[in-house]
Amino acid sequence: MSLIEIKGLKKKFGNNVVLDGVDLNIEKGEVVAIIGPSGTGKSTLLRCLNLLEKPEAGTVKFGDKTYDLTSKNKKEKLALRQHTEMVFQQFNLFKNKDALSNVMEGLVVVKKVPKEEAKKKALEEIEKVGMSDRLYHYPKHLSGGQQQRVAIARALALEPELLLMDEPTSALDPELVNEVLLTIKRVAAEGNTILLVTHEMNFVKSVANRIIFLENGRIVADGTPKEIFENPTNERLKTFLRNINMLESPDNYVI
Amino acid sequence: MAKLFDAALVFTQIPKLLKYLPTTLYLTLIALIIGLAVGLLIAVVRINKVPVLSQLAVTFVSIMRGTPIIVQLYITYFGIPIALKYFNYYNGTDYDINAIPGIVFAMVALGLNQAAFDSETIRSAIQSVDKGQIEAAKSMGMTGLQVLRRITLPQAITVALLPLGNSIIALIKGTSLAFTCSVVEITAAAKITAGKSYRYFEAYCSIAIIYWVITFLLERIMVFLEKKTSIPDEPKEVEA
Repeated sequence: MSLIEIKGLKKKFGNNVVLDGVDLNIEKGEVVAIIGPSGTGKSTLLRCLNLLEKPEAGTVKFGDKTYDLTSKNKKEKLALRQHTEMVFQQFNLFKNKDALSNVMEGLVVVKKVPKEEAKKKALEEIEKVGMSDRLYHYPKHLSGGQQQRVAIARALALEPELLLMDEPTSALDPELVNEVLLTIKRVAAEGNTILLVTHEMNFVKSVANRIIFLENGRIVADGTPKEIFENPTNERLKTFLRNINMLESPDNYVI
Repeated sequence: MAKLFDAALVFTQIPKLLKYLPTTLYLTLIALIIGLAVGLLIAVVRINKVPVLSQLAVTFVSIMRGTPIIVQLYITYFGIPIALKYFNYYNGTDYDINAIPGIVFAMVALGLNQAAFDSETIRSAIQSVDKGQIEAAKSMGMTGLQVLRRITLPQAITVALLPLGNSIIALIKGTSLAFTCSVVEITAAAKITAGKSYRYFEAYCSIAIIYWVITFLLERIMVFLEKKTSIPDEPKEVEA
């Protein structure tokens, strides 16, 4: 039995079908990268899993608890959201709180952890992303890369069963991308289960152990980086890889 | 010729008028609380587009902003007793309108007027908080109320502080119209004093000074609050 089972996920924006019945099982410790052309529902898939978007149909199972993603029950919604944590493209740190408070917030408010304990846990997570020297910096004092590292610490402090990462490096200056990618690499190596949307193909190759290619709201290819990049069978996937120069010269840079 | 202008009187009668300052401040404070509470409620109703309530709120804000405050005071002062008479008549009750002091009418009218203006300030301040932070808070599993209290409102307050300061200053001066509800605050007191001495010009000069000093103090308080709620320019370093 898989750790997470997503079944029949459907989402429309108006008449535009974005997710057309997605089924996906994720094993514990897997790092799954979602790739695909823009507008194919990669981010929407993540956002449906924590109900930032409301899907038309679909269920998700965490362990032995199954959630109906269309349920209107508020308690169930809040319970579902505690299984996952999200890292956003725009970091979305709380601007009125310093780095330490950002990481403590969810522990104190949602998990009701006593303050002292929450602080200890937050300091550990901040240490891991290498931001211990900037505990009292507010988001406006931090670079994009630093903000994203704090955001990663904030997500991990809540010990999610599944970490959702929605293009975590897309909003960063090229110089700052590496520090965040290295952080994610370490997070992956620690055995966290991750569902990641990204355009950093070389990074995907080195860090993901499974890649999903999404097209027109459906999973059309699903395999290891080797299978996807070196031996693609799906025609649309081949075109996509050719378009982003990943088919002819697979090793143009390495992180 | 008698003195045309008694400059000394402008200052010597200030202590006498100051006796009525607590009434002015009390009226301001209660109207301010009503204004902020109802204003926040209206803002939240409108942002969440609550059916029926939202439309009622829009109409309320439009009417309150579209009519002079003095007219609102008169309507409250004369309207509530009429409404109470009807209520008594149809329900066979015997509530006495004279049991309610005039200041209550003034508080309600000024408070609701304030609420109409504050609701727009609060609404725009809340909407200025970027959606990403709200999504981050929600995805953590925070309830709507927790998001409002911990993330949205603290940031909205910083944005709303300056325009709210304006509206509080307008309110303090608005209390000078409370005489329409037979409340004796400093303006009414000045009129009464001048009615005896015929020194109207001096009386108005005296209260002008009082209003200006209060407003000046209030401006200082707002500057202090602004500093306190804003995020420091320089980060605090971690001590080694």
